[in-house]
Amino acid sequence: MREITLDELRAADGQEGRPAWIGYAGRVYDVTGSFLWQRGSHQALHKAGRDLTVELEAAPHGAEFVERFPVVGQLIPRSTGGSTCGR
Amino acid sequence: MAKVAREMVEKAGVNVDQLLELLVKNAAAELTTYYYYTILRVNLIGLDGEGIKEIAEVARIEDRNHFEALVPRIYELGGKLPECMKAFHDTSACPPARLPEDPRDIRAMLQMLVEAERCAVRGYTHICNMTAGKDHRTYDLALAILNEEIEHESWFSEFLGEGPSGHFMRRGETSPFVSKFLK
Repeated sequence: MREITLDELRAADGQEGRPAWIGYAGRVYDVTGSFLWQRGSHQALHKAGRDLTVELEAAPHGAEFVERFPVVGQLIPRSTGGSTCGR
Repeated sequence: MAKVAREMVEKAGVNVDQLLELLVKNAAAELTTYYYYTILRVNLIGLDGEGIKEIAEVARIEDRNHFEALVPRIYELGGKLPECMKAFHDTSACPPARLPEDPRDIRAMLQMLVEAERCAVRGYTHICNMTAGKDHRTYDLALAILNEEIEHESWFSEFLGEGPSGHFMRRGETSPFVSKFLK
């Protein structure tokens, strides 16, 4: 399965024609074509390009509504790229 | 706009702009469902169709009432409806329903209806959760609508044979919960 960094996830925010991806339970789902995720926004409260694992706990629906979307890949917990603490 | 009423809601910790977006989205869902019920009604024919026409008509009128009841609250809180109907349709909180390919497939119609009602139940539950103890008027309205949406879901679920029936069709006036907001 393709590995996706948090930076890649953040870039897929559904704005300005970009794809809309969401993270849930270690996986990344593509919600681009969903009526309920237009312009990367869902029910005024949730934004694409984020890991929504915690937010889903408070949602009025279960994980099955996320899991019906195509899986893009596996979410890698930390962003890759250069360290910000090196000298 | 009810300036102090909005201030009180904000002061209670509700993000009023988010709440308004949700109210507009749900108002759009009500109006698009009302449209769906309208085209459904003319296609509910034959022995199967006529059997659910009356209950579908009650749900149609009640969903329109929900739209009518939501609009004043949106403006009280400083919100507004989109200027064009298409934008309003496209912002719906639930995917707009449509007639099945075979308009005589009553079961497919019922499945679409029950999904629409379930989406509404989720949406108003969420608004109730957001506003409970904070925005009393919106909570009262959302709870009234939720009561009717739950009954709609039950009616269609029972028609689909998903479980034993604990509900009966509406007796007396439509919108027993929401009508107080329409006077």
